[in-house]
Amino acid sequence: MSTAESLARPEEAGLAAVRDLVLVLADSKRLLGLRYAEWILGAPELEAGIACASMAQDEWGHARLLYALLKDFGDDVDHLEHGRDAAGYRCIALLDRAPDAWPGLVVLNALADTALTVQCEALRGSAFEPLAQRVGKLLEEERFHAAHGAAWLRRLARAGGAARDVVAADVARALPVLLAWFGPDSPAAAHLVDGGFADAAGSVLRERFLERVAPLLDEVGALPDAVALLPGFDGFDEAMRRTRTGGPDAETLARIRGDRNRVFLMD
Amino acid sequence: MVYEVFARKSRGEALRHIGNLNAPDDELARVYAHAEFDEERWFDMWVVPRDRVVEVFTRAEAEVAR
Repeated sequence: MSTAESLARPEEAGLAAVRDLVLVLADSKRLLGLRYAEWILGAPELEAGIACASMAQDEWGHARLLYALLKDFGDDVDHLEHGRDAAGYRCIALLDRAPDAWPGLVVLNALADTALTVQCEALRGSAFEPLAQRVGKLLEEERFHAAHGAAWLRRLARAGGAARDVVAADVARALPVLLAWFGPDSPAAAHLVDGGFADAAGSVLRERFLERVAPLLDEVGALPDAVALLPGFDGFDEAMRRTRTGGPDAETLARIRGDRNRVFLMD
Repeated sequence: MVYEVFARKSRGEALRHIGNLNAPDDELARVYAHAEFDEERWFDMWVVPRDRVVEVFTRAEAEVAR
């Protein structure tokens, strides 16, 4: 092996991991945008519906930017956005189906959206410059999402009674999935960091996330559990950042791919 | 609780009343104001509970009576 090749290999491995990560983020943001959109009508307050509309647009905008980046890796972006089946999606598994009530959406907003943000923050100084440029603007918009999620989670937790019980149960279900989502401390994770593509990966990001959401977990009494909870990675596909089984349900898939609108695309 | 929303385009400019919203507390009022009124490029934005706005005077009644 020549010196050039030995230098190029870690670089290539790092770039492959970046490509995987960008697709994970794009898919998750597209799904999350749909989940917000589902509450534009029917949120507990008119103002919360408006906030959901705003967050839905932000997430779909972020997803578009991220999918577009994958052109640089030789991906067929049109196929990625409109042509994959459920098993191909790399979204956070919590987003596969619609939450059945408002507290479920609040947990996605307060915890899943924040997990995506913590991951994006690690890419702010990425050696893959097009990505670094895009996450800067995206993180600006995410500050407002985090404020909305935190305010609502606190509100439900402090309401007591059934509202608190439901939100506490939703948090307990979401937390292990999100902690595992940051992935193992694997060679691919090391390539991301060593190549300067991310400033951290795996358990470092998991700790940053836990630290960020600790005050919210505390509100529903989930903090001690969370600290004790070390994720297992049985069946976890690192490139997908989830277990391979499942994927978005049929209704979700039709909506995110835009199946019913394909005939109207004029380009 | 009703909150009144104020904003301005640049430092030194007078605050303008741009609308109102319903929110249970200051924290959500801030978030909702951002979602609802941030389409323009404001320099800063403020919310105040309507019941904390103190009337100095109003000519409305006198004018209607005339």
